[in-house]
Amino acid sequence: MKRILEIALGIVTGIGGFLEAGSLATAVQAGADFRFELIWSIVLGAACLAFLVEMSGRLAAISKHTVADAVRERFGFPFYLVAISVMLLVSFLVLAAEIGGVGLALQLVSGVSYRWWAIPVALVAWLLLWRGTFGLIEKGVSVLGLVTLAFVVGALQLHPPLGDVARGAIPHLPSQDSAHYWFLAVSILGASISPYLFAFYAAGAVEDQWDVSHLRINRVTAGFGMGFGGIVAIGALVLSGLVFHPAGVKVESYEQMPVLLTTSLGSWGFPLFVASLGIACFGAAQEIALTSSYMLAQGLGWQWSENLPPAEDARFSLSYTVMIALATIPALAGVDILKLTNISMVFSAASLPIVVGPMLIIMNDKRYMRDYGNGWFSNTMVALITALAFVLALVSVPLLLKGG
Amino acid sequence: MLLVRDVLDKQLLDRQGHKMGKVDGVVLEYGSAGPPRVLYLEVGAVTLAHRLGARIGRWASRMAQRLAPVHHESYRIPWTRVRGVTLEVTVDEAVEETRVNVLEAWLRQHVVERIPGSRR
Repeated sequence: MKRILEIALGIVTGIGGFLEAGSLATAVQAGADFRFELIWSIVLGAACLAFLVEMSGRLAAISKHTVADAVRERFGFPFYLVAISVMLLVSFLVLAAEIGGVGLALQLVSGVSYRWWAIPVALVAWLLLWRGTFGLIEKGVSVLGLVTLAFVVGALQLHPPLGDVARGAIPHLPSQDSAHYWFLAVSILGASISPYLFAFYAAGAVEDQWDVSHLRINRVTAGFGMGFGGIVAIGALVLSGLVFHPAGVKVESYEQMPVLLTTSLGSWGFPLFVASLGIACFGAAQEIALTSSYMLAQGLGWQWSENLPPAEDARFSLSYTVMIALATIPALAGVDILKLTNISMVFSAASLPIVVGPMLIIMNDKRYMRDYGNGWFSNTMVALITALAFVLALVSVPLLLKGG
Repeated sequence: MLLVRDVLDKQLLDRQGHKMGKVDGVVLEYGSAGPPRVLYLEVGAVTLAHRLGARIGRWASRMAQRLAPVHHESYRIPWTRVRGVTLEVTVDEAVEETRVNVLEAWLRQHVVERIPGSRR
């Protein structure tokens, strides 16, 4: 019974935690501009994420070390310094977008500009980290995040042509505007394969004191959780393909998006959209802020745990405090949140090789993995993902300039 | 055992198992005869800075001297105090008796404990 509950919780974690500002915004833009043509990039992104999550969870369960630990220990301080600098920069951008996303959700309800909401949102997010425990944050985020299933329900309500949806899941060349098409494909991949997601997951496995007995639940969580999580993003893309694409709507802000759910779900649509955007972004904001602390503390050997009172891991708790404070500035300054989201997803894609590449070596290191290292299948997958990551890194910035 | 592979950059634990940073540097002694001997493990930002390049290292040393006139060098743990080298390096020290956590302690006292709820 306990195991079934754990597995259910694992799947909930995947579904409820999948959607955030980036995956929502990129899916909606893709649906509006290319109908169902880009579904394959969500499928590919979720599949890559599932493999990476499984591996980082296995690493944590077997070795009690995370990817950040191993990057420092295995590749040395200079490489770690490069990796952490890039990761903190990307985390800052994504966190700023998430804080803005929560602000926009509140703006939709209240009519008060998101700029005014930036500080209250940041304060509440910080307070929950300061006072809460890991379990509270992880479970709170994922259970409340189930509200994002509204996008799937909404999409099904409109009876999408399933044949077309299925065809969209197969990678293919664009029919028009290829720079923009590839730009969105890269953004979607960047949004799906977020480094913070598996860094957070691995730290969580250590927080929850996973061991060999958790390997199965780890596989289920990674496979089903991330798989079903991808369905939420596909729901948003399909909705947008059905509502925005035929009308030729260009998505230029989050404020346009509630209509996706009001068209399909009637008067429930607006509150469900606002709740989905607000909760998804708020949950992601907490996870990203916490992950910045994890990556710093693990790489530098500090005492760390979200379950300790802040006074017992001062550097750890001040790291997320500073991170949240800095990431409040863009929204406060009135930066266009959708543009910020798009840029942060492109940088997230560009940063992937630094995090994914080392996995290829770490997951085959006997000192960490003992007899639980990667088999040929996982190695092939992580090699392919690394290759994909390098391609994404190379094309992302040129595409941002050309197609963004 | 290989120093760079198995010791450098590994997690340091004190005898209670408390985290006390990573092994930021290893100090060797080259005698006129025989192989070099390991003298100390070093923990500290100045050591890290020296690994990035001589100029960054010198700059970090000067900064450290200005900020902490007494203890501006990295903390050294004699090799004889190393108790075990696995995925972690365990040493026969007690972290609270060392100065590797001065920054942690300073931040706790001057910043974190002034914010309500720091002890939950």
